This record gives sequence, structure tokens and C-alpha cells, in this order.
Amino acid sequence: MNAPHSLSDYAHLVQPDRVHSAVYTDPAVFEQEMARIFHRSWLCVGHEAELPNPGDFRATTLGRQPVIMVRGEDGQVRVFMNRCRHRGMALCEAETGNARFFTCWYHGWVYRNTGPLQDVPGPAGYGPDFHKEDFGLTPVPRQASYRGFVFASLAPTGPTLAQHLGPAAKYLDIYMDASPVGEIDVTAGVHRTHYRGNWKFVGMDGYHPHYTHRSVMDAWKRRSGGNMADTHHGDPFADESGNLTRDLGNGHVLMDFLPGRSAHLERYLGSIRKQPRGEDYIQAMHAAYGEQRGNELLAWAGDPHAGIYPNLQLIGVQIRLVRPVSVDETEVLMFPGLLKGVPDSINSLRLRQHESFYGPAGAGSPDDAELFERNQTGLQAAVEPWVYLGRGLNRERTEPDGTRVGLIGDETTQRGQLRAWAKLMSEA
Amino acid sequence: MAITRDAVEAFLFHEADLLDDMQVEAWLALWAPECCYWVPCNGRDDSADAQRQVSIIYDNRAGLEDRVYRLMSSAAHSQRPRSRMRRVVGNLRFEVREGEVHTRSNFLLAELRRGRQEIWSGVSQHRLLPAGDGFQIRAKTVLLTQSDEAIDNLTFLL
Repeated sequence: MNAPHSLSDYAHLVQPDRVHSAVYTDPAVFEQEMARIFHRSWLCVGHEAELPNPGDFRATTLGRQPVIMVRGEDGQVRVFMNRCRHRGMALCEAETGNARFFTCWYHGWVYRNTGPLQDVPGPAGYGPDFHKEDFGLTPVPRQASYRGFVFASLAPTGPTLAQHLGPAAKYLDIYMDASPVGEIDVTAGVHRTHYRGNWKFVGMDGYHPHYTHRSVMDAWKRRSGGNMADTHHGDPFADESGNLTRDLGNGHVLMDFLPGRSAHLERYLGSIRKQPRGEDYIQAMHAAYGEQRGNELLAWAGDPHAGIYPNLQLIGVQIRLVRPVSVDETEVLMFPGLLKGVPDSINSLRLRQHESFYGPAGAGSPDDAELFERNQTGLQAAVEPWVYLGRGLNRERTEPDGTRVGLIGDETTQRGQLRAWAKLMSEA
Repeated sequence: MAITRDAVEAFLFHEADLLDDMQVEAWLALWAPECCYWVPCNGRDDSADAQRQVSIIYDNRAGLEDRVYRLMSSAAHSQRPRSRMRRVVGNLRFEVREGEVHTRSNFLLAELRRGRQEIWSGVSQHRLLPAGDGFQIRAKTVLLTQSDEAIDNLTFLL
């Protein structure tokens, strides 16, 4: 299916229990995803805590469009198009750094880190109609933030961020409120990973671990301690675990491990207490949030395992940003968040747990990437083009707030993401 | 045992062979009971604070054993098939401090897997304890040239 798709095709490609492989393989579909999803929806650009000091910046992309997220000398975090207003050079080539000014090294135009054009070489060459204030850095059409997560939309109009997040917002709180002061530090750096497969494969699948991650689960059984096994006891991916999948609407989905983790809370707290000053962390959480909410937040372990559509995932300790490169190529950035107001040992543990499973040399991420690549290969066999995503449809239920709930291994999450995908792709 | 350039080189070349041939258990046996295998991330070197900054790998003995155990599994998909590798170790400098040999060497590694060849390079810093007629690895830090790039699969051993 390589012909251009009409609007109505997209609804056809996503059926209630199946999806056409063109959704993952067709370059024309990818072009439309850039236009209708990535250059239109709210995307997460990053977290403000990655930029603690005035001048700190990160150059990144929204879909295909290069942007700079920068904390200005006035302390405000802004997102600008990474493009000189003169001839259109990308201003900022370093991925991260600190800059009071952004200088275009083509012809020397200089911008303040708050956006205004500061200086133009040879101003006598510009007449009275040229006003520097008309040539500041172009801000993204819309920018908003929630709990320090910076979102931007390249569309001038559309739903507000609050409307977009809806009931998913409270899971950003879960991530942040693993800190007794509700704040994180995102200066630990980033794992940048890459795979040759479609961007929609990554994250939010509770059915795959028994096979994709068998080698890790075997290692967990062999020894518990110092790795991911500290936050999971028993088999968190078993249908009987009590853990759930949730479709929160607008493509936001959740692998909800709270039931299983609440049942194992005492064991988890035991592993925290083994850390130097670990008890201080537990006490600080109780003092900040009360014992009941504090224990619930400890059971979450700051891991909402949420996918905020389309490009943000909060998994384990990481803020994960998904960057589609092409229909069969994806970059994934994993930023481990450290907690403010906790003993150093808790943050060391978070880093070690993250590294043990995630990143290019972790025990988990590369096996995921390997399977995504095999998936991309298999989907080329298009004689029978349908991907079956019906697991749990027979037992899915709908909550009063409209969110759909399945068991942890049910494909409620994939269906929720693809339902939003079809809607966004079908909007003119 | 005399700590000579020949002895240090012979040990590093032996380690390189075990890594290239994925003799992971034999490689694990080279390590001291308390050890650290570290690959810093984001272009950082060994001045990084691994307790505040993420690493590509930061394994203590238990982590190293987990890594080796997993690589032996038939379900370590990212190493099924295995990477085929050959590396050259050179530019060796070393000094002996308080009974430990501190080495610094370069490596250039060609890695072939499923039709894709990657060239990896970097600096290895070993801390070696003389043991019997060879050494034990107390610590190994690998400053990978690609540590700030997007990486697909680093599940073989550096």
C-alpha cells in the first residue's frame, strides 16, 4: 500500500482489534505523521530541570523541525526555532551547553538567550525600514508546561495542554512526587539509543517481557538486589499480578504497576532501608505527603510507566523522548531524573537500576530494539498485512471517567495509542 | 612476578581475545572479587561523578556477573546472533602505583552483526593487581569515542 492515502484511509488502517502494517512501513504514512501529529500536537521538549542555570540550552527537534530550549538570563525557559532570521542557518550546533548569546557564524547575527536580535554586523547596510525588534528568534507557536515538563506545539491553535493531558496529568505528578519536595534534577545526562524500526513500537507493552526480556527475568530470579528486581517482586507481568493497563484517552496510556507494588510495599521499603540513610527517605515522604499518600508514592517508586502521546514516556526513573527519524528509524533519548531532597544513596540506586536495564548496554533496551527491528522486517511480508492487537478486548472495561482498563498483558495500551493516531491522522 | 611491558601487554592481548571471541565466563574470571567496570556516557571521562551522572555501564562485581549471566542466555536477543569482532589494542602506557598497575591503552574494534559493520574506538584504563603469573582486573574504565552519540547495540563487551 504505497499510494497516497486519503483522509478516510487512516480510519480504515486502524480497526478495533487490528492495524494495517502500512501504519508502520509506508513512508507516505510517515510524512503525514510528521505533518498531522508531530508538527501539530503538543510534544514534550524536555524538562526545565535539565537547564538549571541561565543560558543552559538543549538543541533538539520537534518532528523534523530543529528547536532550541533555553533558560534565558531572566530565568524563563523558552523554546525557539533553531534558525537564524537572516538566511536560516541552524544557530546552535552543540546539543547542549550554556550561552549568553547565540551567534550565527555565517554572517554574524547575534541573539540574546531570551530571543531578541542583539547585533547585526554592518548595520549601515540596512535602511530605515529594518527594525532589529522584528528579527528576534522565532518562538514556537505555542508553549506550555506542567510540573516543569516543557511542551510545545508548532500549530498556532488547538487544544490547550491541560485539555490534551486530561486525566494523564496526575501521572506526571507521580513521577515528580517521588521526591519529598516534588522536584527533580535532570542534569545526570542522557542515554541516546537508536533502532531501525518504526517509532510506534517503543514502550507501553506489558505482554512482551516474558519473551523479549526472558534473559533479564531469569537474572532477577537468580538474585534480587541492585537491579530492577528491587521494584518488582513476583511476576509483575502475569495476568494474575493485579497490574493493569490503562487507556487514558488522547493516546495517553499507562502500565499501572501500583496494585502489584502495593502488595509488595514492605519488601520494597526493606530494599530502600538497606541503602545508607534509606529510612530518612521514607520518613521524608511520610512527612511531606502523609503516611497513606507517602506509601502510595513510594509504591509507585516514581515510575508511572506512562506514555504521554506522542513523544513522552515516563518509565522507571527516566524521562524518555521518542524521536522518529524516518518510517523505519527511531532515536530514543532516556534522561534519568534524580530526586531532590533525598539521601544521595537513593539517587545512586536510581542510576544503577536505570543502567542495569536501559540504554545501549543495558539488559533490556537492546533486546527491545532487536525485536523492533525484527518486527520491521516481518511487516514487509504484506501478503497478510494485518497486525492483530486484540488481546484483552474480551475483558476490557470502561471506568466512569471514560478511561479503559485491561490486565497488564492486554493490548489496551496499543489500541489506545492507535485510536488517537487514527483520529489525529484523519483531521484535515 | 616482574611487572614488565611484555607481561602487561600479554595480559591485555589475552583479554582482547576473550572479548572478541565472547568467552564471557573466562573474561569474568579475570576480574578481582571487588571490581568496577565503567563506561562513562555523554563524552565524559573518568572525572565524571558516577553517583550523579548516568553511565553507559557502571557494574560492580554483582552487575558484571548479571551481565555475563545474561549474555550466556539463549534469550539475549541482541546478541543472537553474536557480534563478530576483532580489536587492536595499542598505544600502551602504564605505571605502577602502590602495587597496582595503572594502564592506558587505545582500542580500535570492528564489529559485524547482521550485515552491519560498526567501528568502535576509545581509551581503556585498567587497574591491574598482580596475581600468580598474571593479573586480576580491579577496575576498567572505557572512554568510548561514541559515548555521546545515539547507539543501537552495545551488548558485546568493550
